[in-house]
Amino acid sequence: MRALAIFMAAACLAAGQTIEFNRDVRPILSDRCFTCHGPDAGQRKTKLRFDQEAGAKIALTGGKQAIVPGDPAKSELYVRLVTQNKALRMPPAYMGHDALRPREIEVVRQWIEQGARWQAHWSFLPPRRVEPPAVRAASWARNGLDRLVLARLEREGLTPSAEAGKATLLRRVTLDLTGLPAAPEEVTAFLRDDSARAYEKVVDRLLGSAAYAERMAIRWLEAARYADTNGYQTDGVRDMWRWRDWVIGAFHRNMPFDQFTVEQLAGDLLPGATVDQRVATGFNRNHRTTAEGGSIDEEWRVEYVADRAETTSTVFLGLTMGCARCHDHKYDPLPQKDYYRLFAFFNNVPERGFIWNFGNEPPVVKAPTPAQEEKLTALDGTLRAAELAWEKKAAAVAREQKRWERRASGPWNITKGMVFHQQPDDPKVFEGGKPTRYGTDAAKFDYRDPITLAAWIKPSTPRGAILTRYDDYFEGSGYGLFLIDGKLRYHFIFRWTDLGMRIETAEPIALNKLQHVAVTYDGGMRASGVRIYVDGREVATKVLFDSQLWPLSHKAELRIGAGAGLDYQGEVADARIYNRALTAGEIDVLMSQEPLEALARIPAARRTGVQSEKLRMAFLDTALTPELDSVRCRLEEARTERNRYFAAIPTVMVMEERKDRRDTFVLKRGAYDAPSDEVTPGVPSAFTQLPGGTQADRLALARWIVSPENPLTARVMVNRLWQMLFGIGLVKTIEDFGSQGEWPVQPELLDWLAVEFVEKGWNVKALLKTIVMSSTYRQSSKAPAELLARDPDNRLLARGPRIRLSAEMIRDQALAVSGLLETAVGGPSVKPYQPAGLWQELAGGGGYQHGKGADLYRRSLYTYWRRTIAPPSMVTFDSPNRETCSVRETRTNTPLQALNLMNDVAFLEASRRFAERVLSTGPKDEAARLTSAMTLALSRPPSPAERGILGGALSRLKQRFADSEKAAMAYLAQGESPRNAALDARELAAWTSLCSLILNLDEMVTKE
Amino acid sequence: MTELTRRHFFGRSALGLGIPALASLLGGELHGEGLAGLPHHAPKAKRVIYLFQSGGPSQIELFDPKPRLKEFAGTDLPDSIRRGQRLTGMSATQLSFPVVPSKFDFKQHGQSGAWVSELLPHTARIADRLTLIRSMHTEAINHDPAVTLFMTGSQIAGRPSMGAWLAYGLGSESKDLPGFVVMISPGQGGGGQPLYDRLWGSGFLPTRYQGVKFRSVGDPVLYLKNPEGFSAEARRDYLDALGAMNQLKLDEYGDPEIQTRIAQYEMAFKMQTSVPELTDISKEPARTFELYGEDARKPGTFAGNCLLARRLAERGVRFIQLFHRDWDHHGGLPKGIPTRAKETDQASAALVTDLAERGMLDDTLVVWGGEFGRTVYCQGRLTATDYGRDHHPRCFSVWMAGGGVKPGLTVGETDDYSYNIVRDPVHVHDLHATILHCLGVEHTKLTFKFQGRHFRLTDVHGNAVKAILA
Repeated sequence: MRALAIFMAAACLAAGQTIEFNRDVRPILSDRCFTCHGPDAGQRKTKLRFDQEAGAKIALTGGKQAIVPGDPAKSELYVRLVTQNKALRMPPAYMGHDALRPREIEVVRQWIEQGARWQAHWSFLPPRRVEPPAVRAASWARNGLDRLVLARLEREGLTPSAEAGKATLLRRVTLDLTGLPAAPEEVTAFLRDDSARAYEKVVDRLLGSAAYAERMAIRWLEAARYADTNGYQTDGVRDMWRWRDWVIGAFHRNMPFDQFTVEQLAGDLLPGATVDQRVATGFNRNHRTTAEGGSIDEEWRVEYVADRAETTSTVFLGLTMGCARCHDHKYDPLPQKDYYRLFAFFNNVPERGFIWNFGNEPPVVKAPTPAQEEKLTALDGTLRAAELAWEKKAAAVAREQKRWERRASGPWNITKGMVFHQQPDDPKVFEGGKPTRYGTDAAKFDYRDPITLAAWIKPSTPRGAILTRYDDYFEGSGYGLFLIDGKLRYHFIFRWTDLGMRIETAEPIALNKLQHVAVTYDGGMRASGVRIYVDGREVATKVLFDSQLWPLSHKAELRIGAGAGLDYQGEVADARIYNRALTAGEIDVLMSQEPLEALARIPAARRTGVQSEKLRMAFLDTALTPELDSVRCRLEEARTERNRYFAAIPTVMVMEERKDRRDTFVLKRGAYDAPSDEVTPGVPSAFTQLPGGTQADRLALARWIVSPENPLTARVMVNRLWQMLFGIGLVKTIEDFGSQGEWPVQPELLDWLAVEFVEKGWNVKALLKTIVMSSTYRQSSKAPAELLARDPDNRLLARGPRIRLSAEMIRDQALAVSGLLETAVGGPSVKPYQPAGLWQELAGGGGYQHGKGADLYRRSLYTYWRRTIAPPSMVTFDSPNRETCSVRETRTNTPLQALNLMNDVAFLEASRRFAERVLSTGPKDEAARLTSAMTLALSRPPSPAERGILGGALSRLKQRFADSEKAAMAYLAQGESPRNAALDARELAAWTSLCSLILNLDEMVTKE
Repeated sequence: MTELTRRHFFGRSALGLGIPALASLLGGELHGEGLAGLPHHAPKAKRVIYLFQSGGPSQIELFDPKPRLKEFAGTDLPDSIRRGQRLTGMSATQLSFPVVPSKFDFKQHGQSGAWVSELLPHTARIADRLTLIRSMHTEAINHDPAVTLFMTGSQIAGRPSMGAWLAYGLGSESKDLPGFVVMISPGQGGGGQPLYDRLWGSGFLPTRYQGVKFRSVGDPVLYLKNPEGFSAEARRDYLDALGAMNQLKLDEYGDPEIQTRIAQYEMAFKMQTSVPELTDISKEPARTFELYGEDARKPGTFAGNCLLARRLAERGVRFIQLFHRDWDHHGGLPKGIPTRAKETDQASAALVTDLAERGMLDDTLVVWGGEFGRTVYCQGRLTATDYGRDHHPRCFSVWMAGGGVKPGLTVGETDDYSYNIVRDPVHVHDLHATILHCLGVEHTKLTFKFQGRHFRLTDVHGNAVKAILA
């Protein structure tokens, strides 16, 4: 890009045109001077600074001035650039800097000579629509966009290229708007349609398709660093696909971009936020997270907040906020404090830094698909009906219970979910060193299993192991109920130091007194899900350690009276373990020891709540009549089924606010453990501030981002849409609209689009339509050599775009051409083919198992994305790796891409199916088949020269396979889809390789 | 700038050159021709072979003998040594921090008298060729950020790897192989810490600068082999027709990208021959396997990869990055570390010896080491026969050998606990600056502008370690 800037500056210099500060001078000052004479107060050596007019024009010592308008020789700025005295020259040689290039110096000189007119940084001023100037070839222009482009071309002495041929244009616009090639019937229909609206009808059809939404979504996923795994170290799984589907839906419905922005940044804070709006906030939970053992929670939590602040800045504002994390920004007016004020908006999520490795980390929201929602409603209905049926039986149940109470007897207690019970004959008295052992098969629990441990105890010392499955080592692994310093303590430990849970009662319990103790855990991986009861009363607890995130591997056996290197002195009786968290009411029942006959004897009206409850539970458990029992069973089943279904409904990690706001501090050097001044949330100081009286939360930030006062958001978005169509932004530095970014090559055009976008209600489809309907877009991409040499990146737009397709388009196109493409929209990510062993060699484990059937042929935006080992062919074709926010499209051209396209099973299978399609559905003669193949692939027939080359290649390839059916069969055995056995294998093999060749053509992987 | 130059070049010459001539001009195309003005100074080394030991090998058992630990054995690590410095979450809440001495003995070796553990007898024999740094340090205390820092100069993802920087800056010297190659061996346990694509990724540099993985299973380079049933002759027919078709397109459009694509297909075709030729070790003499060990016959072992590294170096590959996994000895260290040592010792030493014998050590820099060291205190349960050590970022050891560094030198010193550095600390950034210096690159001047900043491998830090530069 620099080359073009220089080329343009040179053109100006040559023509003696006015030097523009923003276009010509600021980039030089920013890049070469701002480090020491710029916004970073920590680095400024003197008061002289070139990022502000006042600072640049201050009086220097000795009566000198940096800038004397009209007089370069008196301007210290110029003098210091050209001086031969190395000690004085700027930028300073002693700091290792080179002198400015002669052309840069000349720009500065002329600017001063012409009066040194200053301009504020362009992107911080609101965009305004300039009236397109008069143009000579006015009839060429279809809209304001065209008039601006044409005016520029005329200024440059260039003329637009002719309109692209219909077939080329159809392929271009179809790929651009849907990421897929045009179907043959669409080509035919368009070529036949001579109406004035033929092209517009195509555009409308494309914008209305689901494929459009998918195509728009993938760039957004890259910007939002969306993936299916956490991204650090062991790179565990997460489920964010419901958020991905929200994005697709939003593009499909053409949600206005301001709403799209607000919902993703702060949907949860909207009044009466819907599930969908909460799902949208997954945008800022897509960042990487770590579950690496030993990670320091706060260090990583801070990293996540930083990622949100920086991603939000890049995606919506085109600001490189990240540069102000450790110090003031060196180029833009963004002091370090501004960074942490922005950071503060995202610093109030109830979250951890060291996270769970096996699924979504809270906060999450259940996000049923419409089909799941429907099914859930049905299950709720069934459950309600079963409840009613049971309620109807209330009188009958009461009657039966009364009858049963006459004969009720025995020491019944709760059995539901009981997996262990210390029998009455088992030892009850422990004198240290002689535990009762129950083996290694008893009571296996994992970290997400709910559990209840309960017993009657009468301890004689304040330290001991009551009921445990635990190593013989205090800092070992296992679970158990202990007495430590007289306090009741619950341990569930994978690794003592960082993975497990330890909770104790706030107060010691009585020694030498028989009492009932119980601990329950709800399976939710948090200490807040643990309750401890003494004699049926829940007691206050103290959380010692709360990081139960890892599966337990059981080695120890279940014991009473030993574990963790401890023994026990005193009594333990009626110890029980349940595979569920008993309720407080159940704990009451559990400690009630009265036999049933005693309870039954008490008149119903005089029974305590616990007594009634115990009788009722015992009755339901043991004596219900078969008829009533079946009603109750149906209720239980309905409840179980509903709960099971609900549990399997996908969740999405979302944004949420803590109630007690977390304080935010400026972090010295950006380090989590070096807080300095406290800050409150706020928008960067260089811009219009939040309206007075607004609560400074994420919603306020989101609304500020899309407010009319914000000069950046609309420009940044239209620039990205421009990049999507033309391969390069009007500002090439898509991610940086600051002073180090590129000055827009066509500023009036960028502003025209930005204003148009906002005025039409942030309407993405309308803006895309405006662009693709323009004459500018419709130009042929053929370029004479002089134009290529003059404007290699097509910044002046004297021709149409010709750029390589993106990674996912290349694969999707091959699937479409072959007929393999599965067009289902949304759903969990899928695993298409991938070379064997890629996951194992880096991370061990079971490795990658590719999917079956339709999963192999879904569009690439649904491909399962493991961040640390990304899908290889996507990365080979320049997909961002989804580790961090990425908005700039890049394209390289390497031999690895050639190998990938020629030898990857995905493309070989597509080639075979493509060949089968040609051979089995089309005409029989070879010439017609060549036409059919080329039309399927490229929406056009071959030229005579191409016909010659392809025909020659086909006959040579036929010879290669002619005498080896075996080779042909082997070659055709690519992929899981069956081969069309009706076709001759040798013929099909030759055609398959010809079709592979077509899929490898430059034109095939290029939009032209 | 390079991209533009290249485009201009093709813009002018697009129609003038035949395919074969172009292909040879594009010899280094995968990893480019490098930047104008580089190297900045006369390089001592032309290439690097980095033998990365992933997981954090214990300096206390390998290179940093601490005889006084026997006195301190079992005592709690004194606060005067720990100085309140942070520990990983894996040992921070331990109830005690008992000091544990190495179970393995050390001796001095060679004329230089370098101390090397009995676990590394072969390395000990090349002691006089080594520059041993015992004062490496880092900030990161967990694997992912620590290895990422070592490979990319930043703990957080997104920066280019060292090899990508060098491919970008210096380009490739190989006509038909990539300039930056990566090979991985898992360690016998098969386990150990995972690795990540980003460790050889291109970050914000164009993706063509990322390392090319040479694999021991399947295709040595992804998608290298023609599908079964499709012969090299058929591929030639195919490529001729493909080239002719693309040439028609080029004649019509003049887009230099088409010219490049034509050349890349030819380069791919060459790689289909050059890579198998490279990985075919059947013609290596018996002496090779005496030197590297019989393991070198097995694809995918560390020894096998060392041998391939030498063959890659012979063919001019710029940056050869090996990873050996499974040095993460939190527990069971006395059993674990001898196995890792055995897997790596002989071949590492053999590689240095082999390069020296071929006269290539003078311009090849070999580096050996992991992402951090290990704690002097025991992590987990200390028994009479068993102990483990947690991650320790404050000191660890790395050795270098060959082009640009002084042989037979030991640099840096740690305290009696191998806990803090007491002399000549060398940060990861310093090591990077030093490696770049050996290659003729001034680390502050190899930069790439991204998000408005001139990024470099060493961020805003680092100094080449003068004391070890030859």
